[in-house]
Amino acid sequence: MPRLDRLSQIARNNLLTFPAQVNETAPFVRLPKPLEGCRLAIVTTAGLHVRGDRPFAPGDQTYRAIPSDTPAVDIVQSHTSIGFDRVPMLRDVNISFPIDRLRELVARGEVGGLGSRSYSFMGAQREAARIERETGPEVARLLRDEGVDVALITPT
Amino acid sequence: MLARTLEVEGIATTSISLVREHTEKVKPPRALWVPFPFGHALGRPDDAALQHRVLRAALELLSASAGPVLRDFPDDAEGSDQPPAPVQASTIAPATDVPRDVAMETTQMRRYHERWLETSGGRTACGLTGIPVTRFRGVVRFLEEFADGGDADMTERSADVPLPNFVRYCADDLKALYYEGHLAMKSAAGGEEIARWFWGETAAGQLLRRVRNRLDASDDPRWKAAAFGVAR
Repeated sequence: MPRLDRLSQIARNNLLTFPAQVNETAPFVRLPKPLEGCRLAIVTTAGLHVRGDRPFAPGDQTYRAIPSDTPAVDIVQSHTSIGFDRVPMLRDVNISFPIDRLRELVARGEVGGLGSRSYSFMGAQREAARIERETGPEVARLLRDEGVDVALITPT
Repeated sequence: MLARTLEVEGIATTSISLVREHTEKVKPPRALWVPFPFGHALGRPDDAALQHRVLRAALELLSASAGPVLRDFPDDAEGSDQPPAPVQASTIAPATDVPRDVAMETTQMRRYHERWLETSGGRTACGLTGIPVTRFRGVVRFLEEFADGGDADMTERSADVPLPNFVRYCADDLKALYYEGHLAMKSAAGGEEIARWFWGETAAGQLLRRVRNRLDASDDPRWKAAAFGVAR
């Protein structure tokens, strides 16, 4: 997003008053091997899920699994905040969920492979204690079980 | 925040960031800040070359030996890009000759939507209510009754979906029908152009303004939140 000074006053205030967590340091895991040998999965906060799965509700701290071979036609988005432009997602799911682009990088040998599933959370969370404590670690365990080394986190 | 949680559990992460100021505070282990408008995290739709460049820049951060790492994607927004944040209904004045019959307009829009489905290979954002597009006249009737203050409901609403959430899903499905229908008419249209058309020139846009007003008039914060999601 362009820097805050390029936004309207309302949009700027909306972001400045958003309760972002403040941290001094970050946990850090060094990549265990070169990316060419790693398995990668997308974890998105775009509120995506397979059609027919339960839609996300605002503030929903659960997650949905999206099998990596799900065709784009079967992916829908229930994070529909009017704070972002929905048209790019209508045209091309890769704008938030770059599954085709990653498959291409795998085919070119730049990434080792894809995990069997991607995971999705709801975006714009004002309160995320349950994700930190329960559903986030649960997704991490699933990713580990699926042999995933790297998660690419994408927003809406 | 999610990146930190996964990293604590042993999964290396790299994130794409849209709001640099938030990312500076949260400090995910590795993040690539991108200059694109909200809704354009990977750059531009159908621009595989740009999307690859964004991905490679995000993946490159994985070679860092310590963190947190926050790097800026080198491109700047282009003049032809959409506005950084979408234009909202309250800033768009309705035209004087907006049609009044939403159900008839929705039926007409379905023809365009069928064309959209042909070009998109069947992909559609409609589907949050679970009600097929062929029955959207019923969704329109429900929203009209709701906007008029009636005790409206639909049998398709599951008992575990609160009414304001269902109203929001109905509004989102209806918007998706119109937005995708418009894209079938004008494939190059951007979000701003479609929003100006939807809120300024369609009967459905005016109905959703009224739905928003009823939700917003409630004292219940869940209703107000739904109103904020329908129009602002």
